Amino acid sequence: MNSLLEALMYGAFAALFSGTVLPLLYRSKNARKASFGLSFISSVLLLGFAGTILYTGKGVLFPAISFLPGLDFTLGADRLSAGFVLLIAAVVPGVSIYSLEYTEHAKSEAGKDLQAALTNLFILAMLLVVLAGNMVVFLIFWEIMSLSSLLLVLHDYSSEENKKAGFFYFVMTNLSTAFLFLGFISLFRLTGSAELGLGSVEPGALTLPFLCLFTGFGIKAGLVPFHKWLPYAHPAAPSGVSALMSGVMLKVAVYGFLRFLLAVPSPELWWGVLVLTVGSLSALFGVIYALKESDIKRLLAYSSIENIGIIFIGIGLYVIFKAEGLPALALMSLTGACFHAFNHALFKSLLFLCAGSVVHATGTRNIEAFGGLVKSMPVTSALFLIGSVSIAALPPANGFAGELLLYQAFFQASALNDPLLTVLLVIALSGFALAGALAAALFVKLFGITCLALPRSEESRLAKEVPKLMLVGAAVPAAFCILAGLFSKQLLSLAGLDVEYPDLLLLGLLLGLIYAALFLAVRAKDKNGKGEGPARISETWGCGAPTLAPSMEYSSAGFSEPLVMILKSIYRTRIVHTPKYLDGQESLFKNGDVEIRLLRFFEEYLYIPPARAIESISKRVARLQNGKLDSYVLYAFLAVIALILATGVLV
Amino acid sequence: MIDPLYLEGVIKILFVFVLISAALIISTRSLASVLNTYTAQSFLLAAVSFLLYLIEGKNELLLLAGLTLASKVLLIPHFINRIEEKIKIRRDLDFTYLEPTTSLLLSIGLILLSYTFLSRVFGDLALSKLFFFGAVIGLSLTLMGMLVMFSRKKVITKALGYLSMENGVLMLGIFVTELPFILEVLIVIDLIILVLLTSILAVGLDSSIEEYRAKIRKLQIWNGGEAL
Repeated sequence: MNSLLEALMYGAFAALFSGTVLPLLYRSKNARKASFGLSFISSVLLLGFAGTILYTGKGVLFPAISFLPGLDFTLGADRLSAGFVLLIAAVVPGVSIYSLEYTEHAKSEAGKDLQAALTNLFILAMLLVVLAGNMVVFLIFWEIMSLSSLLLVLHDYSSEENKKAGFFYFVMTNLSTAFLFLGFISLFRLTGSAELGLGSVEPGALTLPFLCLFTGFGIKAGLVPFHKWLPYAHPAAPSGVSALMSGVMLKVAVYGFLRFLLAVPSPELWWGVLVLTVGSLSALFGVIYALKESDIKRLLAYSSIENIGIIFIGIGLYVIFKAEGLPALALMSLTGACFHAFNHALFKSLLFLCAGSVVHATGTRNIEAFGGLVKSMPVTSALFLIGSVSIAALPPANGFAGELLLYQAFFQASALNDPLLTVLLVIALSGFALAGALAAALFVKLFGITCLALPRSEESRLAKEVPKLMLVGAAVPAAFCILAGLFSKQLLSLAGLDVEYPDLLLLGLLLGLIYAALFLAVRAKDKNGKGEGPARISETWGCGAPTLAPSMEYSSAGFSEPLVMILKSIYRTRIVHTPKYLDGQESLFKNGDVEIRLLRFFEEYLYIPPARAIESISKRVARLQNGKLDSYVLYAFLAVIALILATGVLV
Repeated sequence: MIDPLYLEGVIKILFVFVLISAALIISTRSLASVLNTYTAQSFLLAAVSFLLYLIEGKNELLLLAGLTLASKVLLIPHFINRIEEKIKIRRDLDFTYLEPTTSLLLSIGLILLSYTFLSRVFGDLALSKLFFFGAVIGLSLTLMGMLVMFSRKKVITKALGYLSMENGVLMLGIFVTELPFILEVLIVIDLIILVLLTSILAVGLDSSIEEYRAKIRKLQIWNGGEAL
């Protein structure tokens, strides 16, 4: 059994590794194709690997390679890591098929080769992070993962926007690694070993590691208020990579956090409250910001923040229930969080791939310029619809399945003895429900404005369906989305998680029957009525205008306007009038300015003040560098004296 | 054979002269006498090394004495002397950060600092008194050389400060560290100094650092003078 697992795993490693090297060695189209083929093969192998472990529930530990004294290079997998390997294996096939075609549209030959190589490296690094057996291996591959994705974000480094995105991403990812380092070092001091397990440590001593790791993983996962890098990095990266980053990389951070949390024998209650609060805020803020966004990929990035929030809500619930001694509910919340992570990986990668196709066909990311794509790009639109239905959590697609588990867990909050906690859970539940409703509205807007109605721009009118491979690539996660939704109960029980859960297959069949019956009924009525049926074709009333121009349609901004008005205290939009008058009594109006100001709350209050402080300190430090040799020798002299004094004091 | 105790007494006297020479390098304004002081200092070192050889009988010490005599008493001073003749500047009157009096006061502080520091660090090693003083003087000489480097303006004085600093390192090496290793390092450093001196000579030694940079820029020795 173990040898089979090893064979599968090493096969996948070899495939991904050669996929990385191949396009760099042989710079040709075929090498790139082979590279993506190899990543596809690796995902099939991984599917087998993860499936076996999940089904049997038996972990596997690979023989350690010691390459430094006292430090073993260990890799291993248990059910938790297998679940996340499965997640990677589910996203990669679609992305690799899609990228076969998509990568060919990059600007330069070298860029294409690099994209292929780095994508493979990125997948490999994420895989190894999930399989890492100790902290050092974890951190090494974590850095490789961050750097390869950074290079992918910077793939088109000639554009200012991408440079800014890359820089932002670089800073945030380093911040995340710094916090992880702190967390791991403090853990190491507690346990004395670099293993990922905890052994027996007093829970009270774990406060610092918990806070560090929560911050570190939270930054990487894109939790509010550390979410700002996502809306910059995702639009900048190629669509296949955005799918991987949003679908998988954020989940790798979730995995890291879970790995720590599950090792803690008895987590404290306030951890759960903190995680739940931050998760709820992320879910709400993510979707609220997404509503206002009109850049399609940025919108999807904000929606990822929302979904990460939902996953962290599940994790928070798990901690709370565990701390309160309710293991069954804890398991249900944890299952919900993991399952939602899995589902989000599927539908978000699907949506990013579709967005990539749309952007590829129209040449713009602005939602306002789309419209009518259902006629010109029918298959993409259909896939887009599947993604939207899934993410809006409509049954029986998979988005519904994961959230259902969380709702179930929430509804049993009355099992808690502490009334304050119950109140907190009810508040969190209302936030969660609101986020769900807003997400539905968001994707009605996105799908409606993008695919329906009349084309709003010339590009959109002339858009052509994308090449077949890109369609197939997006179809793979779409199929998974529906399957994971319909067979959610079966999937969970195959993975050994027996939670109370309705069978969505039945519901799905029922819904399918109803839809089919409705469709047939409408069709039948149309046929026998000779044009008198519901298919009456005529002009809609155009307010007296002779023809309806596309510019008169309901726009994306118009759609979200009511919600924006309701939530304006969060957006902090301010309308500023500055009128000028001709006379002192201010009765004769001369002219004036009106502007709508948007307060970027997190940027202006959280990021800019420290940035300013660092800048002013740097300016002072920079003054030391005055170009005078004498000063430099003086610094060296002072440093030596300081060193001598320090050594004298310490010895 | 001469009595080792007598020799130790002589070495201690030489230590005092070394310190005096360091103080002179800090405060003297005439370039010629700075150079002479440096020569004398190097000669004192060679003598210390030779006397130590007489006490301990290690061949390396003799080698070191010879090497110091050849390079630092004869070769380098001769070299610098020629430069001084060329540049026709007799005095270095410009100081940065510290005037000579302050420098002197500061160097007393430096000696005290080295003494306290070394007595703490080497307290457990039970070094003999002679070796301990040697180490203290070596360290303070190094620091004083550094002081010269940033408080004098003319390049040539800076170079002499550097050489004097290196003398301090040599002294510390004689009294504290293992010899053969330090010997090799010394030779390498001396060679580097020679190369440096030559390159400085090629561009113009009679200037302060700012003028020197302007000259180099004009000569375009390195591409893109902005990098300097």
